[in-house]
Amino acid sequence: MTEYEAVIGLETHIQLNTTTKIFCSCKADSWFDPPNSNICPVCSGLPGVLPVLNRVVVEKAVLLAAAMHAEIQPESCFDRKNYFYPDLPKGYQISQYDKPLARGGYLDLPLPDGSRRRVRIHKLHIEEDAGKTKNEHGRRLIDFNRCGVPLVEMVTAPDLRSADEAAQYLIRLRQLLRWLGVSEADMEKAHLRCDANVSIRPKGASYLNPKTEIKNVNSIDAVRDAIAKEIERQIREVEAGHLIETWTLEWEEDSGKLRKMRSKETEADYRYFREPDLLTLYVDNAWKNEILESLPELPLERRQRFIEQYGLPDYDADLLTGERSLSDYFEATVKAYGGDPKRVSNWMMNDVLRILNESNRTAAELKLTPEHLAEILKLLDGGTINTSTAKSLLEKSDSSGKAPSVIVAEEGLAKVSDDSAIRRVCEEVLAENPKEVQNYKGGKVTLIGWFVGQVMRKMGGKADPALTRRILEELLR
Amino acid sequence: MELCDLPAYELTRLLRQRKISATEILASCLARIETVDGRPGSTEPGEISDEDKQTVHAFITVTDDRARAQAMSVDQKLADGEDPGRLAGVPFTVKDIFCVQGTRTTAASRILANFVAPYTATPVARMEAEGALMLGKVNLDEFTYGSSNESSAFQPCPRNPWNPQCVPGGSSGGSVASVAAGEAALSLGTDTAGSIRQPAAFCGVVGLKPTYGRVSRYGLIAFGSSLDCPGPIARNVTDAAMMLQVIAGPDAHDSTAASVPVEDYLAQLETGVRGLRIGLSPDYFKVTYPDERGEYVQQAVPQEFEAAVRRAADLLAQMGAEIIEDVPMPNTRYGIPAYFVISRVEAASNLHRYDGVKYGHRTVEPVRDLNEMYRKSRAEGFGLQPKLRILMGMYVSAAQYSEQYYQRALRVRTLIRRDFDRVFDPNGKYRLHALLTPTTPTTAFPFGAVYGDSVLMQYADQLTVPANHAGVPGISVPGGIAADGLPIGIQFLAADYQEALLLRIARSYEKASEGESWRQVKPMVLQR
Amino acid sequence: MSEFIDRSTFDHLVQLAALELTDEQAEYLLRELNNQLKAIRELEAIPLDEDVPATWHGVPYTPQISPALRGDDWQPFERPQDILAQAPQMENGYLIVPDIPHTTLE
Repeated sequence: MTEYEAVIGLETHIQLNTTTKIFCSCKADSWFDPPNSNICPVCSGLPGVLPVLNRVVVEKAVLLAAAMHAEIQPESCFDRKNYFYPDLPKGYQISQYDKPLARGGYLDLPLPDGSRRRVRIHKLHIEEDAGKTKNEHGRRLIDFNRCGVPLVEMVTAPDLRSADEAAQYLIRLRQLLRWLGVSEADMEKAHLRCDANVSIRPKGASYLNPKTEIKNVNSIDAVRDAIAKEIERQIREVEAGHLIETWTLEWEEDSGKLRKMRSKETEADYRYFREPDLLTLYVDNAWKNEILESLPELPLERRQRFIEQYGLPDYDADLLTGERSLSDYFEATVKAYGGDPKRVSNWMMNDVLRILNESNRTAAELKLTPEHLAEILKLLDGGTINTSTAKSLLEKSDSSGKAPSVIVAEEGLAKVSDDSAIRRVCEEVLAENPKEVQNYKGGKVTLIGWFVGQVMRKMGGKADPALTRRILEELLR
Repeated sequence: MELCDLPAYELTRLLRQRKISATEILASCLARIETVDGRPGSTEPGEISDEDKQTVHAFITVTDDRARAQAMSVDQKLADGEDPGRLAGVPFTVKDIFCVQGTRTTAASRILANFVAPYTATPVARMEAEGALMLGKVNLDEFTYGSSNESSAFQPCPRNPWNPQCVPGGSSGGSVASVAAGEAALSLGTDTAGSIRQPAAFCGVVGLKPTYGRVSRYGLIAFGSSLDCPGPIARNVTDAAMMLQVIAGPDAHDSTAASVPVEDYLAQLETGVRGLRIGLSPDYFKVTYPDERGEYVQQAVPQEFEAAVRRAADLLAQMGAEIIEDVPMPNTRYGIPAYFVISRVEAASNLHRYDGVKYGHRTVEPVRDLNEMYRKSRAEGFGLQPKLRILMGMYVSAAQYSEQYYQRALRVRTLIRRDFDRVFDPNGKYRLHALLTPTTPTTAFPFGAVYGDSVLMQYADQLTVPANHAGVPGISVPGGIAADGLPIGIQFLAADYQEALLLRIARSYEKASEGESWRQVKPMVLQR
Repeated sequence: MSEFIDRSTFDHLVQLAALELTDEQAEYLLRELNNQLKAIRELEAIPLDEDVPATWHGVPYTPQISPALRGDDWQPFERPQDILAQAPQMENGYLIVPDIPHTTLE
């Protein structure tokens, strides 16, 4: 029985989050706008119009290219890709064909077994988006709002080996795009689009078999499911002795099925030629360096550094580099704290993240600053407060914005470690609850926790719990 | 002399002196149109009558309401002591290849017969902002494809005011006819292979093709995007300079409109040609074209044409210019085949947008699907000349032929450009300020004479098209009248962005020849 | 190298160009195309050194004369309704066209 391996490449289109479209001054984002309201003569392809390139499109594309370790070309050119389609008003798309903005590049995908899969891209180029069409009763409805939105296209080499890896690539890509601030990368809103090329071959082979193309996958889960289904189908076909034909398949979300769209005949001849209405794009070293000053440490690099520098486990490092502001926050806290980074990590993963999720904020929006979080941990370490006080301080500091030490002083939250004070309250509690005392002495030793709780209640949560427990145990002997 | 026959510079002067009003100027032009133009072009013209064959038919759409409002505004500004603009009260026509907001903009094609533009082309906007009066949209070869204006879908098409049995030239036929017939003082045309200069020569007026990128193309319905140049058409050099002054300059809407400062074209206009080096090239005194067997034949331009050029050279020499003979421009003969390829590739692509989806003609025939809608709409909307260009463009840009035709043509273009670089190089052998050549190898031909034979028609542009490939500016000015009674044009060509120099040389020649008897002859249409 | 365009190539071009022609038109256009091809053939005979580059714009666009790129500032077009007024068929804000043929099998 032959063992097969899947060979998968992904073609991604990324919508950049500039304010305006690539060649005109209409808005780039019109997701909520009524149809055909965000248009102008240029993006609706009127006779006589001309494209004018948006500078920020180039800047964001350069940033992305650098983050993908691609080589930014000092000279790149635009070309016309000619074809007829109703959502393509000019009858051609302005793209880049043989002189793209960047060449080469890769993303190193961390795999669950700890290894890395280097997913290469051939090149990165910029182009304009087409509008939207939708079907209705044998007619097509066209909306030009999206015409001219700036896109970056990256096509990977067939380096991915499973549906999961493909999904992982998209997750990492989405993370990177948001990290850099070049795209919202929301697949459901078509900020990130993906077509998958899938083929199979016997394990260990190095040649490529005919591939099918899967389109219309609108979420990362859909990508995973569709690819998995297609791999299964191809294996079935091959086992049954059939050849795989280069079909284009459409994923139907509702039924979870793949449908054949059209046979992929010989590639349509787009008759590419240099766009005469635009000049060569020059990205000289001065401009490139200016742009790259804003290139941050990349998420996967930072993840690795957190593992090495802070001794964090993979899981922690992953979570803490999932989103850029969270990760900046973590590091700022570690620096302010000066103690064990794992401690900070635990508090962030358990408590801070919960607060963020509940209030739907990013770490940058917290009123609880990294310095304040560090302070809480130091107060806890020093024994000034106990754990439950520490947890409540998170909320208090975040809502008031005040420093934790200030709140402790104002509200008198310092841990009570005075033996006699605790002893007095313990005696009170035992005196008030004779039945429980009897049950305890009768063998129900778990009641100790309840007694501690009662003491804590009476003391406003400030008693040192360990000490309280020792005193109670002594009294109950 | 009627107001409508006065030069633009005279009109603005008299206007500012309050001797005439813009409203009066307009009335004069409208009266002239009434007298000589006949009916405007239409897609349903019926039979072309004998009477039709005697009138000019420059227009597709007369915009008299617009012009009237503009005239009133100019007169009001003058009355209020405000500046009415540098072209105040000057009547002009616009080749119907430019979008003008609120007007029918047809490109002389059925496919845009009812298209009303939602925006205005930059050169038109600049003229209107300076107080010029827009009389209307004038006729042209369909989508500017042609050299005679015969291919227009709007008939009767324009006729040559010198002899209405002859073509006005093309593609800016309506533009030059309207100016030559005194209907307007100025016209905005376009030049892709000579489409301003050649008709200007045929109709005895001044036509200037500026440097590519000197005037914004925003709003110009595109033909050959790397070749198209909007430019002025006028009855004299000073008027052309005035108009260029207003329309030239960078535009945020056009990435190819160069950031080169606009000189003062009028300041140096009268400074003469002393010390300037003007070249004559043997390559411009002949035409090379394929005969019936497809073999290449060289033929000298008719004697009258060379004589007109040499006469001009003599006059300029008398005024202190240095005339340099035998300047080689060896790649001139390759201009046409290279142009065939480059312009068709760009044109085919530029015409893709006419698909019946969002504007223009959509077929009313029942269709099974979208593809059929495309085919029928485009088949019904485009005339034969656009169809020819589309098919040729698709052919030579197809992947398997692209290297052989399109890429090769782009490299031949380099050779043509180098001819100009060499002769204009200030450190080179020739160090020319300008070249002096005939504009065309024939006078205006009769209707139907060459139309339909695309090769012969195209080779008529051999002397004008090199400037489009190279991007350099060129101007055609009247240089005489031929034995057949039709005008001869002579052409000056200069280096990039040397329009001021070009205009100065042309003006010198104009002044030196102003007493010549042929300048007294009027177009037939104005002799009645 | 193709000497001339034959009828089947021509018909394919017509399809690619989204046109349809009468027989008379097709005859004229095919003849004209082939005539022009003869003229274009002259291009092949022109001696071209290896290092002669292509020229996309006759005038060289140096950085000094090239206009700067556009700033990322929103400027809505004042009257999109004027654009839509030119549409042959609209409904509820959408442009309407006939459906596109495609097969969905499997």
